[in-house]
Amino acid sequence: DDKLLSEPLSHPDFFNVKELFSLKDLFDARVHLGHKKGCRHRFMEPYIFGCRLDQDIIDLDQTMQHLQLALNFTAHIAYRKGIILFISRKRQFCHLVESTARECGEYAHTRYWQGGLLTNAHVQFGSGVRLPDLIIFLSSLNNVFEPHVAIRDAAKMNIPTVGVVDTNCNPCLITYPIPGNDDSPTAMELYCKLFRMTIIRAKDKRQQSEVFNELR
Amino acid sequence: MAGNRMQKIGSVFSRTRNLLRIGVIEKPLWFDVYAAFPPLREPVYRVPRPRYGKVKDVIPPIFYQEDEVRARFYRIYGSGPRPFDLSQSNYKSTCQRFVEKFNELKEEGKIEEEKLFEETGKALLASGIILQRRGTDKAAQQDHQDAETRDSLLPLQLQTVLEKIQEKKKDGEEQTPELAETQKEDPLPS
Repeated sequence: DDKLLSEPLSHPDFFNVKELFSLKDLFDARVHLGHKKGCRHRFMEPYIFGCRLDQDIIDLDQTMQHLQLALNFTAHIAYRKGIILFISRKRQFCHLVESTARECGEYAHTRYWQGGLLTNAHVQFGSGVRLPDLIIFLSSLNNVFEPHVAIRDAAKMNIPTVGVVDTNCNPCLITYPIPGNDDSPTAMELYCKLFRMTIIRAKDKRQQSEVFNELR
Repeated sequence: MAGNRMQKIGSVFSRTRNLLRIGVIEKPLWFDVYAAFPPLREPVYRVPRPRYGKVKDVIPPIFYQEDEVRARFYRIYGSGPRPFDLSQSNYKSTCQRFVEKFNELKEEGKIEEEKLFEETGKALLASGIILQRRGTDKAAQQDHQDAETRDSLLPLQLQTVLEKIQEKKKDGEEQTPELAETQKEDPLPS
């Protein structure tokens, strides 16, 4: 059992997430397009490549690195049978996010976030609730363009987070930020596709490893 | 069940590691994974204070050599004759073709720099793309004159419109008493 869990950690890319995306895919999906100069968040400046006629362009080399780390982390969590929660407060993509979560066999929350869902879980859901082991933000702002409450709550409850941060977002509290566009439909479909493929791949690998172990 | 809810102190990993060291918590699922593959920046809270004094723009603007040609093109010809079709990723707009032709003629080097712009315009005409100059046209001047005459006619037109409205109001007042009389007559026979 210990071998099963510790063996994947020795490889740098056990689930081979690098082959799922390329720089050209990110460019075609318009992941590099940010908001205008006035909307820029101070802490996003290291991730921005430049400003073309007042529109921020995100550095896709850095995005590649961050995306690879984030997908690798999600794959390992899914391999260890962790609970993953998808959060996005964009109404345009709420259905896409929910269907992605359903196909992975994981969970999604794309509606109004009540105050104590994570911090007051034992009162709201009853005792013995298992909180998510990873929270994935496909858009880290809520409907009034403020940071989503779940980012702060996950940091409070010591839950690691993966999140797509646009040029107007605060990437400080997110464990594995992915600087990229969160407004274009093509970009959101690309992220959903990548997360779905990594999680399904990790779960299949877990099944295979268990079968191999039983055969021995 | 102990825990540390202070999100502004340290990162998730540092707090969990310290709690584990004390021994009040059991190892969570993600701890080994984070230890093996840490992120590029440790997720520590930073206060989002605004910058004071003169704000230096750290991010460089993106400009290309071809932007000079593009700026001149748009100033003289306005937006091109054909709208942009963004559904194709390899679409070339009129301006892009102009820029490429300009660079070709510049590399050939047979034409002087001042005449390069006009020569590219002629070359594009030869290949079938018609460019219309904006602003300094005879047609534009005529439109300007028509606008002036229309402005002088406007008060006369407004007067006639007012008179028509007043006539209509008078007609309306004559009609409504007739309607009232007909309404009074109707209930009587029933």
